[in-house]
Amino acid sequence: MQIVFYILKRILQTVPLLVIVSLLSFFIIRLSPVDPLADLRLNPSVSKETLARETQRLGLDKPIIVQYAKWALSFARGDLGVTSNGERVSVKLKERIPNTLLLTVVVIFLTWVVGVPLGIAAAVNWKSNFDRLLTILTSIGMAIPSFFFAVLLLIFAVKTGWFPVGGLTSANFHGMNFFQKVWDITHHLVLPVTVLFTISLAGLQRQMRANMLDVLESDYVKFARAKGLSEFQVIYKHALRNALNPMITLLGFEFAGLLSGAALTEYVFQYPGLGRLILEAVLRSDINLVMASLMIGAVMLIVGNLIADILLLLTDPRIRAGANV
Amino acid sequence: MKRVVYIVLIVLVLSAACVRRDQASLDHEKGYSSVAQQEIVFPARAKTVSVDGVDFLQSQAPVGKFGGTLTTSIIGEGPKTFNPFNTKDATSSTLSELMYDGLVTTDAQTGDTIPKLARGFEIHGNDYIIYLRRGIKWSDGAPITADDVVFTWKNIILDGFGNTSTRDSIVVDGKLPVVRKIDDYTVVFTTPQPFAPFLRSLAAPIAPKHVFEPAVNKGKEYFETFFSTNANPKDFVTSGAFKIARYVPAQRVVYERNPDYYVINTENQKLPYLDKVVYMIVGDLNNEVLKFEGKEIDLINLKGANVARFKKRERGGDFVVYNLGADTGTLYLSMNLNNRTNDGKPYVNPVKQAWFQDKNFRQAVDLALDRQNMIFNIANGLAEPLFTPESLNSIYLNKDLPSYERDEEKSRELLRASGFSWDDKGRLVDRQGNRVEFDLYTNAGNTEREAIGVMVKQDLEDLGMKVNFKPVEFNSLVNKLVGTLDWDMVIMGLTGSPLEPNGGKNVWLSDGTLHLFNMRPEKDKNSKRLDWEVRLDELFRRGALATNFNDRKRCYDEYQAIVYEQKPMIYIYSPIRIFAIRNKFGNIFPSPLGGIIYNLEEIFCK
Repeated sequence: MQIVFYILKRILQTVPLLVIVSLLSFFIIRLSPVDPLADLRLNPSVSKETLARETQRLGLDKPIIVQYAKWALSFARGDLGVTSNGERVSVKLKERIPNTLLLTVVVIFLTWVVGVPLGIAAAVNWKSNFDRLLTILTSIGMAIPSFFFAVLLLIFAVKTGWFPVGGLTSANFHGMNFFQKVWDITHHLVLPVTVLFTISLAGLQRQMRANMLDVLESDYVKFARAKGLSEFQVIYKHALRNALNPMITLLGFEFAGLLSGAALTEYVFQYPGLGRLILEAVLRSDINLVMASLMIGAVMLIVGNLIADILLLLTDPRIRAGANV
Repeated sequence: MKRVVYIVLIVLVLSAACVRRDQASLDHEKGYSSVAQQEIVFPARAKTVSVDGVDFLQSQAPVGKFGGTLTTSIIGEGPKTFNPFNTKDATSSTLSELMYDGLVTTDAQTGDTIPKLARGFEIHGNDYIIYLRRGIKWSDGAPITADDVVFTWKNIILDGFGNTSTRDSIVVDGKLPVVRKIDDYTVVFTTPQPFAPFLRSLAAPIAPKHVFEPAVNKGKEYFETFFSTNANPKDFVTSGAFKIARYVPAQRVVYERNPDYYVINTENQKLPYLDKVVYMIVGDLNNEVLKFEGKEIDLINLKGANVARFKKRERGGDFVVYNLGADTGTLYLSMNLNNRTNDGKPYVNPVKQAWFQDKNFRQAVDLALDRQNMIFNIANGLAEPLFTPESLNSIYLNKDLPSYERDEEKSRELLRASGFSWDDKGRLVDRQGNRVEFDLYTNAGNTEREAIGVMVKQDLEDLGMKVNFKPVEFNSLVNKLVGTLDWDMVIMGLTGSPLEPNGGKNVWLSDGTLHLFNMRPEKDKNSKRLDWEVRLDELFRRGALATNFNDRKRCYDEYQAIVYEQKPMIYIYSPIRIFAIRNKFGNIFPSPLGGIIYNLEEIFCK
């Protein structure tokens, strides 16, 4: 019961947060000197009437606060509005979200499946050659800029011809059978996943290693060892459980990055995800589309944190005791 | 100590190497700066041939092989709509107009207006009689008739549905042409007065009435969303050589051949040859180059250093590089000739006004510019110097106006003649002893214009002027140019039409909305005109009314001569377009006016 109250309280807290985020974003975009109509203004074949009509259609003739109120009302009703080209924002997002999710989910899955065990292994074999090798590799992984790495891999793809040059599907994708389709998508995913995986793996592995090292130093682990428990039981039953707690918070952040974390890599690989769509929207000051993406980002972050907190509540009795107050 | 010597030596060697390398690459680019414009032998013009009561258009190009795919690319986020009447950007226009033919089209070789969907046309004064082809069909089998033409023009274009730029361009004194049907295969357009640009506007796509009418009946707001990018490809009913088969957002648009197209080859087989045309949607130029090198696309517009690299690999490679000559983009430097006041305050400082109003001053600035230097250093040698307002590939270009090189001596002479002199420090002062100093603007973020600004500043400072170069944000600049009018000099660019100078009327008419160099806002509408502005007004009016090409050419020649002489806008250069296309394609006849794949139905895979 307490958990339900806790969740409700948290959800209520998000409302003012979202209002502030949206206000800030809206005003920053609208007050930025990007004029969605600047190109039309300098086009000799565009008449004054057309300009006036466009200004009216985009609502630019109204004061900024009225524009915001209009947007906020329709957002509250669940309507994301239309883009500056008159397409529905929700439709545009729906086209792209699955692609981005496909990429980020694969990456997160791989990172956790590989990163957590590697972190444990490094901590258990602390200061061994294996640990040092991992440290070097993860240092490289953390140091290499994703943008640069992605470009390198693209050049690799062009030179060898082993991988397609960006994109998600081949031109003849729709004529393929199911297995060919799966293979085609996998083939296209290899390079972008490699980039994102390398970079997030490094962080996660180090985090896990540090947590584990902390826990291995603690009194209860020493006690467990003194009790004569097997090393396996000490590590996996006592140490690991405690070391995983901070990782749960991290998982919340990973959730927030599901839709926005891969934008740069998406851009380099011409991946048909949200990143490219939003970038272009920002450049054109396409307010509804930009606002929708910013709000999605904010909501994802809040929900991610909420999920992490709830999971912590469930796993960590210490926090549960605190929440009761 | 020894170590220091070594380090100095190493630095010296390295820097020497760098200097030499820079030099080499410059020479190298100069070598390719003019990838020779190839001689293309065009086939004879297509003609109408009647087979079994159907008026086909017979292509005279060599007969090719059926089948194959051509993959090309578009840069950006892809199309915004597939409705050819709603398009507001070049990508959407290209992609939607591929599916709908217009009544007439432009001969890519000569620039003449020639029949396309129409069988022929006659012009009698203000009447344009259009004869349609008998027996040709929409992709769903319905016949293409006069009803479709009248519906498209009357109910979509003239009623102001979608993008109204076609309508805006044919309004004469607030009046629009009228269209009426004579019989199923004859339509007459009547313009309110003789208006030459009208003929070319007939190239606007024709819509199938039975598909578009329900949407038009639902009003303008609904029409904006009609045939958007979310439309089902099966719903499209088209007349063009290719029809959309699939649109994958942010990845590609796939077109398949229209099996019932009305163009045939000399063996009376129905074109197009290609089964599919694919437009890959790529985010930027670099990715496009990678895709071409990865053999994912067959055609690419080459820029900058890539030209030299591709040219070198052309021999033995599987592609051909074509130079299409200068494109329609023009870069110019303009001075503010405004001598009026705003609430008693002059738009331009009266001291500066005196300079800018002085023709000698403007010509001196023009002569001081080193266009060749800018072309080599900014455009990688891939541009042509420009001296006229019409672009170099325009069919109305006045070829009698000679080009010239930088001439500082002559420039100084002109300044001296106008009473300018130099003080002991070499600084230029005018007759009243004012130091010649002004602001030069361009839009920040456009690296090409910023680079030009720096070089213009250097060239003019050689004359002793003081130039404050200020790149400002695009919007503030536009506001300065068309709103507050408080600027001295500006570097901007415009895109014109190589076929229709009348498109530039907003720039050149003395009350035009883009008459930047002497902008007249509403309150100044009746202010005094300069003599040559009056003449330009007259020439543009006459040029639009005359219907004979030679009469029009005379008007537009004189307008170019006036601008060449008066220099309200000093033209700098036009970029040239260079394409690479795989050599497996046949019937490629590149032309400066049409580009590379304007004859998509004739192109085949060898």
